[in-house]
Amino acid sequence: MSAATLPSSDVIPAHAPGMISNILTLAWRELRDALRARSFLLYSLAFLALGLGVSYVSAAGTGSLGLSGFGRTTAGLINIVLLVVPLMALTTGASAIAGDRERGMLLFLLAQPVSRLEVVLGKFLGLSGALIACITLGLGACSLVLAWQGGATEPRTMLWLASLSVLLALSMLSVGMLVSALARKASVAVGTGVFLWLALVFVTDLGIMAGTLALRLPVRSLFFLTLSNPLQAFKMWALHSIDASIDVLGPAGLYAMDTYHDTLPWMFGTSLAAWIVLPLVAAALIFRTRSPV
Amino acid sequence: MNANRPIFAPLALACIVGACIGPAIAPALGQEAMRPPAELRDAVRDSSGVEINAGTIGQLINAAQPGDVVRVPAGVYREHIRIDKPLSLIADGRAVIDGMSSGDIVEITASNVTFRGFIVRDTGIDLDKENAAIRVLADHAVIENNTLEDILFGIDLKQAPDAVVRGNLIGGKNLDIARRGDGLRLWRSDRVLIENNTIHDGRDAILWYSQNVTVRNNTSRRCRYGFHLMYSDDVVMENNELTHNSVGIYLMYSKVVTIRGNRLLSNRGPSGYGIGLKETDQFTINDNLIAANRAGIYLDGSPFTKLKPGDISRNTIACNDVGLTFLPSVKGNVIAANNFVDNIEQVCVSGRGELTGNDFAAADRGNFWTDYAGYDANADGIGDFAHESVTLFENLLDREPKLRLLLFSPAQQAIEFVGRAIPAIRPEPKFFDPAPLTKPVPLATSAGVAPSRLSLAVCGLGLASIASLVYVSSRAFAHTTRRKGVVA
Repeated sequence: MSAATLPSSDVIPAHAPGMISNILTLAWRELRDALRARSFLLYSLAFLALGLGVSYVSAAGTGSLGLSGFGRTTAGLINIVLLVVPLMALTTGASAIAGDRERGMLLFLLAQPVSRLEVVLGKFLGLSGALIACITLGLGACSLVLAWQGGATEPRTMLWLASLSVLLALSMLSVGMLVSALARKASVAVGTGVFLWLALVFVTDLGIMAGTLALRLPVRSLFFLTLSNPLQAFKMWALHSIDASIDVLGPAGLYAMDTYHDTLPWMFGTSLAAWIVLPLVAAALIFRTRSPV
Repeated sequence: MNANRPIFAPLALACIVGACIGPAIAPALGQEAMRPPAELRDAVRDSSGVEINAGTIGQLINAAQPGDVVRVPAGVYREHIRIDKPLSLIADGRAVIDGMSSGDIVEITASNVTFRGFIVRDTGIDLDKENAAIRVLADHAVIENNTLEDILFGIDLKQAPDAVVRGNLIGGKNLDIARRGDGLRLWRSDRVLIENNTIHDGRDAILWYSQNVTVRNNTSRRCRYGFHLMYSDDVVMENNELTHNSVGIYLMYSKVVTIRGNRLLSNRGPSGYGIGLKETDQFTINDNLIAANRAGIYLDGSPFTKLKPGDISRNTIACNDVGLTFLPSVKGNVIAANNFVDNIEQVCVSGRGELTGNDFAAADRGNFWTDYAGYDANADGIGDFAHESVTLFENLLDREPKLRLLLFSPAQQAIEFVGRAIPAIRPEPKFFDPAPLTKPVPLATSAGVAPSRLSLAVCGLGLASIASLVYVSSRAFAHTTRRKGVVA
């Protein structure tokens, strides 16, 4: 669409037609490159395979008894999302700027009449599109398998899961881009991304467990510590959207339900939104001061 | 004693004199003041001070002879009634008895009363006086096909043996749970039949000290205890559907109780159980569907004696937060031929301990476990390895329930993996099923209705189409730029 306005000699028009169109042009390019990348294809396949496996196995368990609508499948899918989506988003984001810088592409891009903010936002938008494609494809295929297996899950559940997975992906993408803006080398950026993934998926939770056992953390602290982790915020929101309650999460979940009632989804949303916006802003600010090579 | 005698004598004398003279001089003191006002003369009042049998139905009752069938025409009757002779009181059409938010509404004080087909609504809300829609204080009552709306207590049987409570719809007042009354209550009422009733939004349906009671085909939802037995022996509960209560069935200090073919779903109070047993003895729990509760079955000090092992068999226990919860000292149960399907935690020993005093198999047949990891090479339907529950994370949960907040995270699997991999921190098995079944036991109680497969398929296609849209649009962009000879 905006491509039609481009002069034939260049990706980016010499006379900048406006910020939005610049961002969109950059986003399209980023999206196309991402969908072509081999690593991205691998992530998509892994997500698809794991999701399909969980759907098939769990639906076979309850399906044979004619039980349905109690959402054990969803728990399995949440687990897969928590494992794969952050890894995918973090590494994708981490290689976004650092990769271009290493290849000299950044120098080329910034020679065009685009601002650095536009570059960051364009990349973010394009990569978001790629992640959305991957998530919707994976969960869409899972829905089809579940429907084929006997429909042990409600469509509403899958739609919620997909939307919230996208939010989780955006937050991790944002963190990844912050890493990318900071790092000199693409390999360092991706390595840091993987490390952050380990930290968010395993280390913080294990730390919270140890803390709860050793320090006898009260439920309130436990809840807020957990809420500050975007993965856990996603998980709690997903459970809440399916059951209208997180009482399945034991005393701390009951505490949260009794204390915050209807504000809970807003709290989960705030946590995720903060993880989307703050790292992205930081990435843009840092990118402004960094050399393009 | 001796010292008191001088005071006693004059006092006693004064009393005797007073008793003799009193009646004689009372009329002279003012006859009019002692008499009640004209409109209240001869009125009978209940404990809340509400006038009894003053309205149309009351007059019908007063006029009837024992053994009569009294038919009440359709209409709204704002009155409180007491049936004090053996009558059949039957609604002809839509007869509403409205208690106008005060007192009890129907009181049955004679034996052999039938009360059928009425709509009884709006009792008082005085918990101390236990305002009830229908209170029965005599034997052989039949309470049938009534609708009780907006009531504190529903049907209250007090020393009312041999009653039949059938086909009533009992709906409580929309009050905070602490201010509600019991939808159904039996107090020292033996040999009662309770069937085909629906109770919703009440506190409990409770049996106190009532023996030989049958409870069948009832429905209870959004109450505190679906059915609660206190010191009630020889009770049969079958084919009831108890959903969205705090607790489905709670048995306390009772014995010889049979719970069969019930559906206990989504009972999720803060300490919610499908079935809870406290110091209950000689119980049989068979063929129930127990799903999506906070805990499927909760056992505390049950069985209480060694007279008969607790029989928990042929139940499907599915998708509960915890399938079976035991307090550590529980022993003497035989748990066999059940399906344990996808409970988040299949078996929990609250606190710490082992379940060595309970058998998870009978006659060489165990239970079906969805988390059984073994195989069945000789295809006899029984797994070739015993099923042991060794899960480090569950042990942590049993010790520190707060950690449930981290359920479903990958960290949970990491801990399970470490627990399996490193023998030093491998926990003792919680229990041991020597002969796990590899196929589920056929479900005796029907399950819920599956959501539409079509809509799920459409949802899947919709999601996938978003993905293809993104992909196609990126290709389209690549195409336009290439056509224009752009190098990007």
